[in-house]
Amino acid sequence: MNVLNGIITEIRSNEGISLVKVKSNTFTFSSIVLDTPETVNYLVKDNVVQIIFKETEVIIAKDLNLAISIQNQIPCRIASLKKGIILSQINLVIQDSDQSIQSIITTNACEQLDLKENDKVLALIKTNEVSLSAHD
Amino acid sequence: MIQIDAYKMLQTADGELPLAISLTIEKGQFVAIYGNSGAGKTTILRILSGLTDAEKVNIKVGESIWDDSEKKVHLPVQKRSIGFVFQDFALFPNLTVKENLEFALSKNDSKEIVEELIDLMELQSLQNSKPQNLSGGQKQRVALARAIVRKPEILLLDEPLSALDDDMRFKLQDYILKIHQKYQLTTLMISHSIAEIFKLSDQVIVLDKGKIIKEGTPATVFSEQKISSKFQLTGEIISITKSDVVYIVQISSGNNIVKVIATEEDAKEYRIGQKVLVASKAFNPIIQVLI
Repeated sequence: MNVLNGIITEIRSNEGISLVKVKSNTFTFSSIVLDTPETVNYLVKDNVVQIIFKETEVIIAKDLNLAISIQNQIPCRIASLKKGIILSQINLVIQDSDQSIQSIITTNACEQLDLKENDKVLALIKTNEVSLSAHD
Repeated sequence: MIQIDAYKMLQTADGELPLAISLTIEKGQFVAIYGNSGAGKTTILRILSGLTDAEKVNIKVGESIWDDSEKKVHLPVQKRSIGFVFQDFALFPNLTVKENLEFALSKNDSKEIVEELIDLMELQSLQNSKPQNLSGGQKQRVALARAIVRKPEILLLDEPLSALDDDMRFKLQDYILKIHQKYQLTTLMISHSIAEIFKLSDQVIVLDKGKIIKEGTPATVFSEQKISSKFQLTGEIISITKSDVVYIVQISSGNNIVKVIATEEDAKEYRIGQKVLVASKAFNPIIQVLI
C-alpha cells in the first residue's frame, strides 16, 4: 500500500462526488471520492490527509510526454527492481523529493520497457484509484 | 440511562487482574462488549445483574440505585429488571416450551405476554415440545423469549449465538434485533464477531485486561481511520501466502472469503487471526445480476 501525507489544496463537488487536489511535497495528486464537504468533515481545504493507492494500480511510462487521460503523472526515478516470474516490484523515488512509492507490474512489461535502476519514468495513477484518509 | 462504575480484583490464570470500568449507556441502546477471553466481559454482566459482588460498585439505572457499595446498597438479583441469556443457558427439561415461558412469569403477571412472545419468536409449532426435542438454535430462541417474559428494562446476552452455525446465527440475530426494538430494551451483548456487532449494535466497548480501551460506534471503533473508499468489509486474516513477488492475503468476512494482494513489506505487518478492514474504491467493483 502506498501511503503519502498531503494537504488538500482544492475541492470541487457536484451531486455527491468530489474531485480533490492534495499536495504532497512536490507533487499534487488528484483523487475522486464519493463524498463531499457536507458528508465528511475531513474534506476541508488545508487539511492534512493521507493519500492511499495500491501498488498494482501504478502504471509505469518511459515516455515522459504523454497525451493521456491519466491525471496523476508523477516523475520518478527507479531506485530498485525486484523481478519475479510473473510480477515485478519497482521501487520508485518521486523526483525532487525523498518520498518513495512502489509499483507492481508484470515482469513482461518490465522487460518490454527494459526498466533499469536510475531510469527516469512517470508513475501514472488514475484519479479514481486514489483513496483519501483523514489523518490521525 | 444506566451508569456503571465498578472495581473488582479478578483471579485469572495469569494472576490478579483489576477490573476497573466506568460506563454510561443511554436507554434503548444496543451495546456490544468485545475483547479477548479473560478481559472481564462476563464479569461486567454479572456485576450488573447482581450475581457477582465487586469491591467497589455503583450502579444507577434511571432514577433507581441498584448498587452503592459505600452506602451498602445492593438490590438482589430478582429485583433487578433484567433478562439474561448465556451461551449454555438451561431450560427446564421437564417443562414444555410454553411452560418454560410461563414459569418465568411473576405471580400476578398476565399470560398474554407468553402468547405474544410465542408469536413474535415464531415458536407456535414448538410450544408443546420439551427442550430435549429442540435444536440448539430453537433452544436459544426459547431462552431469548423466556428472558423477555417479565418485560425487563435491560437484556444481557453473553455470547448467546456462539455455539450456533452461521445460518442459525443470522436468524437469531434478527430475532434479537426484533425483541430489542419491540420491547424498547437496553441490550448489552458480549460478542466475538465483528460482523455481528456491526449488524446489531449502536455502540461497542472494547475491553482489554479489565479496562475499556475503546468505545464508540462499530464503524469508528473497528476502522482505525476513516478511509474514503466506499467498498469496505471487516474480517479476519485466515492465510498469508507468498506468490511470486507479492503475497496473497485471504480474509474471512461473514460468509465470504476474499483475497487481496499485498506487497512483501505490507505482508510482514499482517498475521493470521488479525482483524482487518478491507477497502476498495467504489469505482472498481463490478455488479452482476444473479438469477
